[in-house]
Amino acid sequence: MTTRVTRSPRRRTVVALGVVLLVLSLFVVRLFDIQVVNAAEHVAESQKLATGAKQTLYGARGEIVDTNGTVLASSTTRYDVQIDPTLAVKGIPKVGDDGKTVKDADDKPVLVPWPELADRIAAVTGQSSADVQKIVADALAKDASSQYATIKRYVSTEEYRALADLKLPFLYYDKHPARTYPDGAVAGNIVGFTGSGGEPLEGIESLQDQCLASEEGSVTYQKGADGVIIPGTEKTTAAVDGGTVKLTIDADLQWYLQQLISEETAHYQADWGGIIVMEVKTGKIRAIAETKTVDPNDPGASATDDRGSRLLRVSYEPGSTFKPVTAATAIEQAGLTPTSSVLTPDRMQFPNGAVINDSENHPTENLTLTGGLVQSSNVAMSQFGSLVSPEVRQQYLEKFGVGGGDALGWSGAPKAGFSSDAKNWDNQTYYTTTFGQAFTVTPTQVVSVFQTIANGGVRLPAQLVESCTKADGTVVTPTEPDPVQVIQPQTASEVSQMLENVYAQGTLASDINIPGYRLGVKTGTAQVPDGKGGYKDGLYVTSLVGFAPAEDPQYVVLTLFDEPKTNRMSSANRSVFKKAMMQVLTHYRVMPSNQATPLLPVTQ
Amino acid sequence: MSTPAMSAIDLLEDLPSLPPRDGADRRLRALDRPASRRRPRLLYGIIAVAGAVLIGAVQMGLSILTTQSSYELSALTQQQRTLDYQKQVLTDSIAGLSSPQYLAANAAALGMVTGQQPTFLRLSDNAVIGTAAGNNGASAVNALTQAAVANGLVAGTPLVNDPTASLTAGATVADEAIAASAAETSTPPAIADGLPTPTTH
Repeated sequence: MTTRVTRSPRRRTVVALGVVLLVLSLFVVRLFDIQVVNAAEHVAESQKLATGAKQTLYGARGEIVDTNGTVLASSTTRYDVQIDPTLAVKGIPKVGDDGKTVKDADDKPVLVPWPELADRIAAVTGQSSADVQKIVADALAKDASSQYATIKRYVSTEEYRALADLKLPFLYYDKHPARTYPDGAVAGNIVGFTGSGGEPLEGIESLQDQCLASEEGSVTYQKGADGVIIPGTEKTTAAVDGGTVKLTIDADLQWYLQQLISEETAHYQADWGGIIVMEVKTGKIRAIAETKTVDPNDPGASATDDRGSRLLRVSYEPGSTFKPVTAATAIEQAGLTPTSSVLTPDRMQFPNGAVINDSENHPTENLTLTGGLVQSSNVAMSQFGSLVSPEVRQQYLEKFGVGGGDALGWSGAPKAGFSSDAKNWDNQTYYTTTFGQAFTVTPTQVVSVFQTIANGGVRLPAQLVESCTKADGTVVTPTEPDPVQVIQPQTASEVSQMLENVYAQGTLASDINIPGYRLGVKTGTAQVPDGKGGYKDGLYVTSLVGFAPAEDPQYVVLTLFDEPKTNRMSSANRSVFKKAMMQVLTHYRVMPSNQATPLLPVTQ
Repeated sequence: MSTPAMSAIDLLEDLPSLPPRDGADRRLRALDRPASRRRPRLLYGIIAVAGAVLIGAVQMGLSILTTQSSYELSALTQQQRTLDYQKQVLTDSIAGLSSPQYLAANAAALGMVTGQQPTFLRLSDNAVIGTAAGNNGASAVNALTQAAVANGLVAGTPLVNDPTASLTAGATVADEAIAASAAETSTPPAIADGLPTPTTH
């Protein structure tokens, strides 16, 4: 039992305690507010008001490497040289050999005049002294108290250090992260380039920017009067470097093929030429060479049209390189075999009124399906192809990739495919679709068709990017579409054998023969639309595509010329194809076949 | 409510009573005179002061060392920056030297050829597969005089064994040169400085 006497002081104590706790909790709330809720604001303010400094830390943009790790693009640093014109024209005190300022009779410092200083700057930057003086004079003419003019942008570290060693107090340097491409134009069409401000503009640089881009960090600290960082005040948020993009390209092979296609394109005076090499069993593109190719170190030196990849942005009517697709369709859907034959004149009028010509005159002969490919006869392939309904033929073409784009996701990829569906094909189109006309494809799709045939009928997505390795070591591989079983393995093997016979028995046999190897090839001389509904006269996109070794295919090689002039037919591609294929086989140490091509009858 | 209280009192009543206190044992009693103040022990004082001084000294020492090392750190940072610049300069200066076009041009200058037909020796029957053109064959590409793959980094850099030769800068120039040479391969070059003569000693 409590009495009045004992209760009163206890209540007072409780009240006092309550007040103290209340005040304390107010402090706690305020402390929490300062330290947590508004912490960033206060830290920023403290840095602004105090002797602190904040520096941005730049992470390096990631490298682009080829499949063997050869660096194709890496980061470097460039500097802008800026000048304070007002200060510059005043000159600087001359410093004697003893390191002391030289003084004249009146004990005033002797000044080194501005033109002499301009000479020194110009000697480093490679400009003329007059140029440097003009920049300063112009800036002063505009504004007599000008404190800012740019002498030269993007100078190298070497020049920057040389300028810094001049110890001119009126020069300032602005640092820029920049890109350098050690292999120059090797794969320049694929690697792409960045703008002067470091922004990605073309190719993989732009396509894979998410992987390559770095994150900036910062460091804040307080400095003493002598510029030394006060211990314990340093606070760093590390910059995160960009990831490394690994391509499927092989830089050495790529160089050779670029050099080759450049020489050959010039020789045949084609508008441009290209070579694509794809690995049969993976769908990985090992080289994608073309003329002209931009040197990413100096994209300005190339014409605007030459700065990207033509091969990945062009679409064309493939022509005869799509005859194997017709053969595969006829084998699976009309029950033909490589020896099924048909009477083939060099010009034929079909029941629906369409007229189909062969490119060369020949007597009427009983061509086999193999013969249709070996002699690349439009008439024979039209007859074989029309055994199958146009809807099914379109289905097959689509399964081979026509109209389906590719997995590369390249910027500016062309819209290629059918101009009309099978049910709307006119009488002529009904037949021309059997030999690669009336629809367009990309060079990559043509390569994929041959990859499919060489790979037992399984089409693998074309692949250009192997992986992205982040700064912390995580490897991210791009998600690719699933492989597609386009034709049965048996069909693929039969078509492959027929293509081998094109290599062994075609008109090109002696020109592209690589002793020791079995190859499967097909030429294509595709007409080029003149933009007025017809085709250009005597100008073609010529191509030669093939795989080797045929008994166990490893690589598909496509060579392509746009409108060669000195030899206008696909025979222009023979020497470049042979040299390219030979280099691929020796580069990858592909063992010779050691056996002869099984010959199939061309006529019966 | 009152029942538990009652029982507590009952319990108290059960306790044995304390023995009566003796008057002589009372703890509190009046003193005759105030106790004399004891002198503080000097030793403790000395220890405390010395401790404080020591702590101060150590702290000052540490502070001096920290400051000292921050200067060292600053010097080293400066040195590292200089070295970073040097590294960058050196990296820039060798960039491009390992590029395939520069290596190939050097190889071509040494008389090496590339792009030959593969030739194999079959061990089982000594058969040579392929043409044995080997070292007599012409190069499939002309990596030196018709270098077509530009590289701004090594444009103008002299070749290792032939300081007068270099890859020309820019693809456009090279392509034009190729086109020109392809167009008129049969035309001999113009004689500028008389007929070329071998240098002999």
